[in-house]
Amino acid sequence: MAEHDLELKHVTKRFGTFVAVNDLSLVVEPGQFICLLGPSGCGKTTTLRLIAGLEEADAGEIRIAGARVNATPPWQRDIAMMFQDFALFPHMTVERQVGFGLEMLKRRKDEIRRRVREILTTFEIAPLAARKPDTLSGGQRQRVALARALITEPRILLLDEPIGSLDFSLREAVMLELKDVQRRLGISFVWVTHDQNEAFSLGDRVVVMNHARIEQVGRPEEIFERPRTRFVATFVQGHNVLDGAVESVEGEQVRVRTPVGGFVVPARELPPPPPGTTVSFSVRAELLTERPGPEHGNRVRATCHAVEYLGSVRRYDLRLPDGRSVKYEQFAAAAARIAEGAEVTLGWRPDEGVLHLPADGRT
Amino acid sequence: MSTLRARSPVSYLLALPAALWMLAALIVPTIFIVWVSFWATRTFSLASPLALINYAKFFSRSTYVKLLVDTVQQSLLLMAITLVLGYCIAYFIVVKVRRPQLQLWLFLLLVVPFWTSALIRTIAWIPFLGVTGVINQALLFLGVVDQPVSAFLYSLTGITLAQVSFYTLLATGPVAYTLRNVPPSLREAAQCLKATPLHVFWRITFPLTLPGVVIGQILVFLNVMADFATASAIGGNKYAFLGNLVILLYDSGQLPFASVIAVLLMLCMLGGVAVLLKMVDIRRLGVA
Repeated sequence: MAEHDLELKHVTKRFGTFVAVNDLSLVVEPGQFICLLGPSGCGKTTTLRLIAGLEEADAGEIRIAGARVNATPPWQRDIAMMFQDFALFPHMTVERQVGFGLEMLKRRKDEIRRRVREILTTFEIAPLAARKPDTLSGGQRQRVALARALITEPRILLLDEPIGSLDFSLREAVMLELKDVQRRLGISFVWVTHDQNEAFSLGDRVVVMNHARIEQVGRPEEIFERPRTRFVATFVQGHNVLDGAVESVEGEQVRVRTPVGGFVVPARELPPPPPGTTVSFSVRAELLTERPGPEHGNRVRATCHAVEYLGSVRRYDLRLPDGRSVKYEQFAAAAARIAEGAEVTLGWRPDEGVLHLPADGRT
Repeated sequence: MSTLRARSPVSYLLALPAALWMLAALIVPTIFIVWVSFWATRTFSLASPLALINYAKFFSRSTYVKLLVDTVQQSLLLMAITLVLGYCIAYFIVVKVRRPQLQLWLFLLLVVPFWTSALIRTIAWIPFLGVTGVINQALLFLGVVDQPVSAFLYSLTGITLAQVSFYTLLATGPVAYTLRNVPPSLREAAQCLKATPLHVFWRITFPLTLPGVVIGQILVFLNVMADFATASAIGGNKYAFLGNLVILLYDSGQLPFASVIAVLLMLCMLGGVAVLLKMVDIRRLGVA
């Protein structure tokens, strides 16, 4: 299959003077699970609605299975959508509701009945067939919405915070189930969320968005280990971000001067910025150590402010001399602990930092 | 008093003033009208017998029965027109107009005439409908007709035009209310499930607004059935409905016969409302 399931090319959407989606390009391959991750108002839901055809793009091109669909109405696109509030029809029984899509496709009555029964059985909601939505629990509604969306066998399923309205205790199980459904059916999922745990545990690829643009696209590991921009590093939890200016370039590494000292950071695939450039870099909380050895060339003094015990890890909130907060995560089994109020030297290896794209060099 | 339980003695006590008022203003007069309708003589004494003679008189004269049929027919016509018109207006204001500010203004435009006195509204139609009225002037100016049309004033067309203008709001309001309670995401979900706009309307939007439609229809039905002012002002003396007959008989002192017609009118209204309520559970109003 040479064609992409979905392709967005330089798509822009404005509401009045507000730019909701700005020059966004994205490709989804068949069977991929894509998560659009970002804070509220970043344009992720608008992107989803553009794909569904519920909004019209002001510029750019949207292709589904290779065909341009900019002018195609939602009911003719090969997609299905799950809404945040599930948008179940209050006047229809579960059976009617789930069969609605097939009914609209003018399938025969007995075929509809058979396929509805099949999918209700698959999702273990067959006993609810005669019930109306207002008598269902949150988890049951979610399954009905999923069955209703999938019965037309769409090429792409769009999900707008599909588990956001569920009880916290249900979410994990539902997440795994949805992932399993996606693998079994082999269709593409485009999942919108503001929750990084969802995005990282589900997505084959994660698209981090902010201010109507894509900040970074990559596998969850790539996003987590190599945040490309300062925004990604601050939005994704577990990173310590430091700001400063380039002091000198030493081969592929740059020396960055910050208010709390100088640090060596690898430039990696970025062209090393010239001395004097304002830059930011990050280092992950669990890569720090409170007992630096000779290899931990980057060091900083910090005071322990608070300790959080999270089971397998202990998370420390420390303060740098300039008052900034730094997170440090340590395996709970580690012998030495830092007491609140204690002063320590944190260190990390020069190759462990991640230099961010300069602020004006957006994608 | 948040712990006040339904059916406790205190709650009955609290309901007493309203109950007394209902008794005095509604139930007793109604019973009285029904009683009067059975008087066999024109003037009353306790000794005078009760009989069905007045009812017999009504149903034996075809002119009276025809008047009843006309009244019901006019109500049905008005219901049909205001249903379509009212729904379209409500749909336009609630769904198509997206700016809340504009929605409010359009709604005010719709409601303001309703605040003016019914008499003034009725009389205001006369300069519109007359032979030298606004409508005829416009038609002449546009060259649609070369002679003024006299069929507007003192005609059923005129009465219907005026009644449509008075009662469309009654059909619009409840629909607008229920329409506002239908989340837009339901329409969008239906679209994503391959429903064309026409299917979205008939399968999702309309069924969910049905309680509003029925309430609006009840209001229109009751008002048209009871309307006598429009017929007498715009219909001149040529057209009459049951309401006009009640006035006529009352003025000429035929109280028992006037009561018969009032009772029949009430029965028709109760019957009509019962039929409409059978169609939908209005307690579900606003549950979307």
